[in-house]
Amino acid sequence: MGIITIMKMTKVLSLVLAALLMLGMLAGCASVNYAETNTQYVIGVSGPLTGGAAMYGIAVANSAQMAVDEINAAGGLNGITFKLIATDDMHDATKVSTNYSSMLESGMQVSLGTVTTAPGMEFKNLSADDNVFFLTPSASGDDIPANPNGYQMFFADGNQGKVAAEYVSANFAGQTIGVFYKSDDPYSKGIYDQFKANLDASVTVIETTFTEANTSDFATQIDTLKGCGFIFMPIYYTPASLFMMQAKDIVAANTVYYGCDGFDGIDNIEGFDITTIPQEVTMLSHFNSKATDGAAKEFIDKYVEKFGAETLNQFGASAYDCIYAIYGAMKAAIDAGKEIPVTISASDLCEILKEQFNGGYSLAVGVTGENITWETSGYVNKGAIKYVIKEAN
Amino acid sequence: MELFLSTLINGLSLGGIYAMIALGYTMVYGIAKMLNFAHGDIIMVGGYVIYVFMAFHNPLLAILIAVIFCVLLGMTIEKIAYKPLRGASPLAVLITAIGVSYLLQSLAQIIFGSANKVVTVYDFGSVTFLGVNVQISALVTLAITVVVMVALTLFVKCTRLGRAMIAVSEDKGAAQLMGINVDGIITITFAIGSALAALAGLFYLLKAPSISSTLGAMPGIKAFTAAVIGGIGSIPGAMLGGLLLGMVECISYKITAIAPYTDAIEFSILIIILLVRPTGFLGKKRREKV
Amino acid sequence: MKLNLKHIRWSHYLNYLVIGIFTLVMAIIALTGGHINNSMLFLLEKIAVSIILAVSLSLVVGFLGELSLGHAGFMCVGAYLGGKVAAVLEPSIGNGVGSLILGLVIGGAAAAVCGVVIGIPALRLRGDYLAIVTLAFGEIVKSIFQNTSDASFGGALGLETPRFDKQYLFIFAFLLVLLTLAAAQNFIRSKHGRAVTAIRDNEIAARACGINVTKYKLITFTLSAFFAGIAGVLYSFSNYTVQSAKFGYNYSIEILVMVVLGGMGSINGAIISAALITFLNTKLATVLTGDLAVLQNLLYALILIIIVVYNNAPALKSFRVRYNLHVFFDKVVRRGKDPSHRSDDRAKWDVVPTKIEMNEILSIDLKPQNLSGDKPTHDDSKGGKG
Repeated sequence: MGIITIMKMTKVLSLVLAALLMLGMLAGCASVNYAETNTQYVIGVSGPLTGGAAMYGIAVANSAQMAVDEINAAGGLNGITFKLIATDDMHDATKVSTNYSSMLESGMQVSLGTVTTAPGMEFKNLSADDNVFFLTPSASGDDIPANPNGYQMFFADGNQGKVAAEYVSANFAGQTIGVFYKSDDPYSKGIYDQFKANLDASVTVIETTFTEANTSDFATQIDTLKGCGFIFMPIYYTPASLFMMQAKDIVAANTVYYGCDGFDGIDNIEGFDITTIPQEVTMLSHFNSKATDGAAKEFIDKYVEKFGAETLNQFGASAYDCIYAIYGAMKAAIDAGKEIPVTISASDLCEILKEQFNGGYSLAVGVTGENITWETSGYVNKGAIKYVIKEAN
Repeated sequence: MELFLSTLINGLSLGGIYAMIALGYTMVYGIAKMLNFAHGDIIMVGGYVIYVFMAFHNPLLAILIAVIFCVLLGMTIEKIAYKPLRGASPLAVLITAIGVSYLLQSLAQIIFGSANKVVTVYDFGSVTFLGVNVQISALVTLAITVVVMVALTLFVKCTRLGRAMIAVSEDKGAAQLMGINVDGIITITFAIGSALAALAGLFYLLKAPSISSTLGAMPGIKAFTAAVIGGIGSIPGAMLGGLLLGMVECISYKITAIAPYTDAIEFSILIIILLVRPTGFLGKKRREKV
Repeated sequence: MKLNLKHIRWSHYLNYLVIGIFTLVMAIIALTGGHINNSMLFLLEKIAVSIILAVSLSLVVGFLGELSLGHAGFMCVGAYLGGKVAAVLEPSIGNGVGSLILGLVIGGAAAAVCGVVIGIPALRLRGDYLAIVTLAFGEIVKSIFQNTSDASFGGALGLETPRFDKQYLFIFAFLLVLLTLAAAQNFIRSKHGRAVTAIRDNEIAARACGINVTKYKLITFTLSAFFAGIAGVLYSFSNYTVQSAKFGYNYSIEILVMVVLGGMGSINGAIISAALITFLNTKLATVLTGDLAVLQNLLYALILIIIVVYNNAPALKSFRVRYNLHVFFDKVVRRGKDPSHRSDDRAKWDVVPTKIEMNEILSIDLKPQNLSGDKPTHDDSKGGKG
């Protein structure tokens, strides 16, 4: 021990230090506009592209890319094209900070936020720090648009729960209904809580739940709900279809399954023929994936041709509208005399878009509705369709 | 009564699946002394193979191919990922098993996409018994599991190969000295375990005709819990643990107030049982030697 | 007592020095108004959390020799309580160092209490049984927080917490890393630490020597849980939400992977592999975007299998001796000098000889004297000559 050791150590240390200093250099200088070198408008989105919720993220990424391609093919916005960056958050809030910052540093100027609610809780605050505008296609949590920079294209969960509660209170007063929800899912729990809070006291509710740990075997739950003539299911279509398949002989044939927008796509599942389900399936939604005319039909045809029907759902439709809404708002702002250079900073663009969205901008024709407008709170205003997917046999 | 009966039947049919997975876990653990975290994902692979070969509309053929495929897959995994680590730390093997589990899941997602695949293998229909609707597939599941358990017990107790397995599980070194091909025995164990996993995949499809790349993950953990409750390494123990866990799960889902805590309850039961009987219900007590 | 520089075992403090200087450099950049990219800041925070987790778990897995699969559960307790403290204090004292310290104390203490509560019964069990009980504990904690009311811990939506100023949090994060390191290293090098490794190497012999096995197991387990709680608090201060779904057994396994890849019983190995894996995880996610995203899990799995098989397969031993990071490090740092010239004067317990020989490829020890690995008689030094 002694001098020699210390000298050797100094060598290692100096190597490490040199590396650290280089890192420090890379760290860069004071607050910057990362979009300075952009040659296209950059839109970012974070969603689950892998893992259990991947079908939603993929639908959003595909549809948004489709809209971007269409806009670009038509010449972009005054000749400036758009670029979409889709990053994978695996439906995990922890991944969002990395995705968000890497997109921002790649020049993201405006965002679609996140695809799902749980990561969105992180995204809404991160983007508020930098004042980045986002219009989320499908993160429907009530708190998602809480900051001034956040807007939704979906109906907020609480709103859906309230509308469902009003419907049930009006039609089933004094009767017994069933509720089947996923207790560890913010979407499902959010709707359920508001449903419960707004429900008429005379309605008796039999409720049963499932969790992420068991998303396929519902024998017990079906057994609990089998006597109910009306079952409210604020869940996504995959578990809903499994419930229906397993329940078709057990639950009475004249039962009504009533779902929210999560039901959409249930009649598109490969291998699941909804006509084999004797019960009635109804949903409250903004998009009809079996639409036979209008913008929705056009979207469905294009999507299926490009990506197949497997991931066709309302998430994608909503994302498609988001891109057009952002494009439309930017165009409207330019028409009103604003300048939007291709290197505009995210924060400047946010102010412009906020002015548009708060000032009554409307998306005249969308896949998920017509004359869509936004409240200053960030919630969307558009008509909901109560839509019978399938009549009872 | 009706409530009791329907819960009993649901519990037993879910427990049958857990038992089938737990049997595989317990075989592999008992003989290779490793926690095969990829076991649950073999269930998923089995399910996907059945999904693919149901294109021929012949359930028996699809099941047969699934079993063969899973056996080959299990043996391959053992050969490539676990065998080179024989003699290394059990932890290293555990981490490799986790790696294999991630690998199978991501491969499945790349090949089959992220959306659930729906496949109806065979619709047994249902009968009404004492006013309770009973899915015949549940009875089939339970029956096959019992048959498999009995067959495995007889196999291990009464055949040369089975006794060789016991010998390997007791003492690898001594077994080798007695002329037993230890590597071969372990490979066979993996083959049997994987075949059971393929059957478990079938049971899942019979119960809920839908499959995704994460199908096996949670049932794998639950079944491992079941194997530990029953006494890991014990074949009847795995059966007992599986049925018990299935019953607990169904009863817990039945009671609205505690339903969201079902997982917590199952795992709490595991902890309590291990504290009262550290080797599980039917596990053998091992004496620590210096 | 006169401080004699010659008698200080500098090698013991090299890791502090490296991390300390790193923190200092970054802190100076941040405090002098320099701008560090968000992604760099977030990465640093994540790395700090991972290092604390890996070091704390390595106490149990590497030094006590028990397998724990519920480390994320302790982290979860710390994260929720620390986050709650911050949320409660925000209106009155704002979100500053005060609430961070209080959060750390409460979150860490709560996790430590959980460690005692689960440790007393669980430590009667051994090996895989302990593993499954800790796994169960993690899932139970997750499930409990998932079903709390919105007003208490946010339930399924998760707890919203104020975030600590991101420009400065990483400095505190790395100070906590240093604190963890100091605690862990001093514990291991104390007589208690030697008792713990004795239990690992042979519990019956340790008991025969009069070591109170239960006591030391419980101390290690609690210490480990405490620092997992600290990591959790740090996590809650570096995020806007704490969602229990994060803390499942998958996350526990991710921490375990860090420890095992770093080399069992090597604190420095755990630090390096925690930093490396966190970096890799984050980078894979941002490099492989869009359609390529599906490949990241595949790559991660392949890397994991290959590294573990390469490092542990008995058949590859001679190959490993030739090609490993020690040899590489020797060549680069010592410019190809024969590694056998290394001085051997170091404390024998400095690198605790691992019962299981692990991961020569990643467990590089930052101390130059120890580049040969464990013992002078180890195959590595022989192979290095050839």
